[in-house]
Amino acid sequence: MTTTSTRTVVTAAARGRRRSRAAAPPARPGLKRKTLRETLAGYAFLLPWLVGFLGLTVGPMAYSLYLSFTSYNLFTDPRWIGLGNYVRMFTDDPQFVQSATITLVYVIVGTPVKLAAALAVAMLLNYRDGGATFFRSAFYAPSLIGASVSVAIVWRAMFNTDGPVDTTLSLFGIELGGWVGNVDLVVPMMILLAVWQFGGTMVIFLAGLKQVPKELYEAAEVDGAGPFRRFRAVTVPMLSPVIFFNLLLELIGAFQVFASAYIISNGSGGPAGMTNFITLYLYKRGFSDGQFGYAAAIAWIVLVAVGVLAFVLFRTQRSWVHYAGEDR
Amino acid sequence: MFRTTRPALPAALLTIGALALTGCSGSSAPGETYDPDEEVTLTFAFWGNEVRAGLYEQAFEAFNEEYPRITVQNSFLDFPAFWEKRQTEAAGGGLPDVMQFDYSYLRQYAESGLLLDLAPYLGGVIDDEPFSDEILEIGEVADGNFAIATSTNAFGLYTNPALLEAVGVEEFAGGTWDDYDDWMEEVSDAASAQGVELWGGVDWTGRIQNFELQMRAGGEDLFTEDGEPNFTQDDLEAFWEQGDSIREDGTAAGSQKVEEAYPLSVFDSALTASELNWDNFGTGYLGNLGDSYTELGLVAPPLDVEGAQDLFLKPAMLHAIAATTDHPEAAATLVDFLVNSPEVGAVFGTNRGLPASETQLEGAALEGLDAQIRDYEESIADRLGDAPPVPIVGYGTLEEKFRQLGLELGFGTITPGEAASQFFSEMDIVLNQ
Repeated sequence: MTTTSTRTVVTAAARGRRRSRAAAPPARPGLKRKTLRETLAGYAFLLPWLVGFLGLTVGPMAYSLYLSFTSYNLFTDPRWIGLGNYVRMFTDDPQFVQSATITLVYVIVGTPVKLAAALAVAMLLNYRDGGATFFRSAFYAPSLIGASVSVAIVWRAMFNTDGPVDTTLSLFGIELGGWVGNVDLVVPMMILLAVWQFGGTMVIFLAGLKQVPKELYEAAEVDGAGPFRRFRAVTVPMLSPVIFFNLLLELIGAFQVFASAYIISNGSGGPAGMTNFITLYLYKRGFSDGQFGYAAAIAWIVLVAVGVLAFVLFRTQRSWVHYAGEDR
Repeated sequence: MFRTTRPALPAALLTIGALALTGCSGSSAPGETYDPDEEVTLTFAFWGNEVRAGLYEQAFEAFNEEYPRITVQNSFLDFPAFWEKRQTEAAGGGLPDVMQFDYSYLRQYAESGLLLDLAPYLGGVIDDEPFSDEILEIGEVADGNFAIATSTNAFGLYTNPALLEAVGVEEFAGGTWDDYDDWMEEVSDAASAQGVELWGGVDWTGRIQNFELQMRAGGEDLFTEDGEPNFTQDDLEAFWEQGDSIREDGTAAGSQKVEEAYPLSVFDSALTASELNWDNFGTGYLGNLGDSYTELGLVAPPLDVEGAQDLFLKPAMLHAIAATTDHPEAAATLVDFLVNSPEVGAVFGTNRGLPASETQLEGAALEGLDAQIRDYEESIADRLGDAPPVPIVGYGTLEEKFRQLGLELGFGTITPGEAASQFFSEMDIVLNQ
């Protein structure tokens, strides 16, 4: 009995479905045609980018990866040497080790200092509205011209022996001599140049600071929090997504320092290899020495290093980045 | 006319080969002369500075008076950037039609088939009579003749008489490398005593040419005909150790000064009283030193082995034509004008070195420093030996590595032993890549 009833119900339901199918307009084939047209149109619009992406990015990257396993001087066909370039880099090339080391110092020291400078000035500009537009422009300007040849030339002149920096420090009894040709001072000089170009980072910080609700500061003040406590308990957590964003961009950017090092050292990477940052080094290996396979291998190591660093940052952000609306 | 010193068969084969490569239509067979009615645009690249660019402009004006239908589009860069650009152009098959060329890159480009073989044009479009056989042989590499020397130069010791007079020290009278060190010390001490920022010279062990001079004084070139080094790591370490004393006692200008002056030299910057370099650098020195300096001293480099033939005449620069040029006859015509024309000789003087062509040398009417350079090259005739083999592929890389290691020795960031080890590692890569 029970069985019969169940079958009856099922059969009725099935009939109902059949009816509804028969009654409905033939929507599916039409929809299919439309979807196909839309898909084709989508791919047609996408095609220029896709061709560019495959031809100008993926293709060259794949070829570069292949070249990194070869000895290649542009003039003769690449010769497969397996991991030879990678082994040489870490076992038989003190210049690479030096280059990687100074690049890491530049990234690890320069990036936090630059972020701190940018945040400090952003807070200052956020605090005072008078003349804010002028000061924002003034602080942002070095970022616009920072990578230019002229600025690097000026920087070199400023920090040379008897240049304005040397002369000014001498007035205070600090006799450092020139920085440009000084093995100990040239990296700090390069970091200063990078820090001086904090304008872009500062503008992003400023935008982030404008988003922090004033009520939070007022509430903290009512609770007796001083300026430092308000900074630590309100500003930093609320700004943490922006700090994370800037930190990521600056780290990646710092790895790519090239133009200023090239100009300041006249392409030599001196003194004693201290401005031979990794991108300058791989450029010289390729275009000056004709060792394009080796240069490609260095480029891939840089890519992996930046990738690992970005991955670590993304993994650690859960512990210190606070996104509004998230319940952690 | 082809030179009779060349076997007829190879010349014929070269001509046939070149015909097959470039003259498929049969309308532009190599060795033919340029049709003066043909409108042609040639690209020309050289390394140098504004001064040399001005001289080339004058040379092209003279060329256009004779060949008004050939337009020359020229460009220039400094030496390192010049070769970086040529590397990428070579890879893309877009080398300029005509190039100022350097001896150290000749083998690499010629062996890679990037340069036009000039053999079919020599004796025809390019007059080879004004050149000695030795000069013509300079361009012979990879079974062809791929470049022709504009000029020659020799290594010499430049001094600055005005600075020496200011500190009261006589010119270097010649002698051994130790004598030179002593003289430099005398200059540096005299300047220091007077509170003048001046040194006798730089640490000469930072130049591969000085190592080469000492090698040749011992009867060996740096590299064999097969491109193998004629020196050991110990030889190189011992060479660099010779500079220990002048680096440490302040006789030589320090590496920091050298870095700060770069790309000019400390001699250009009036910080040293002497510099060992190729003799055609004289006009550049005077230009960089400024109007207050009007003369230079030029004497032979130090020598430890009596009667040795350590010096040699090198092509200061050459001219070469790209194998891919669409106008080989017009390009060869331009090269002929640039290497043989008396007008070009008069324009350049010794800016590109002492003209290699007799006709151009006669047209140069050398005076002042130019005449001094000519006289210098005549004065060292007894010390001139055969030129070394055409530099190995990658010689430019080794030369720069040598310079940088020399600077590091001056900074004290490396020892002579470590420097020699690094140089040999680099040489191993260069020779075996």
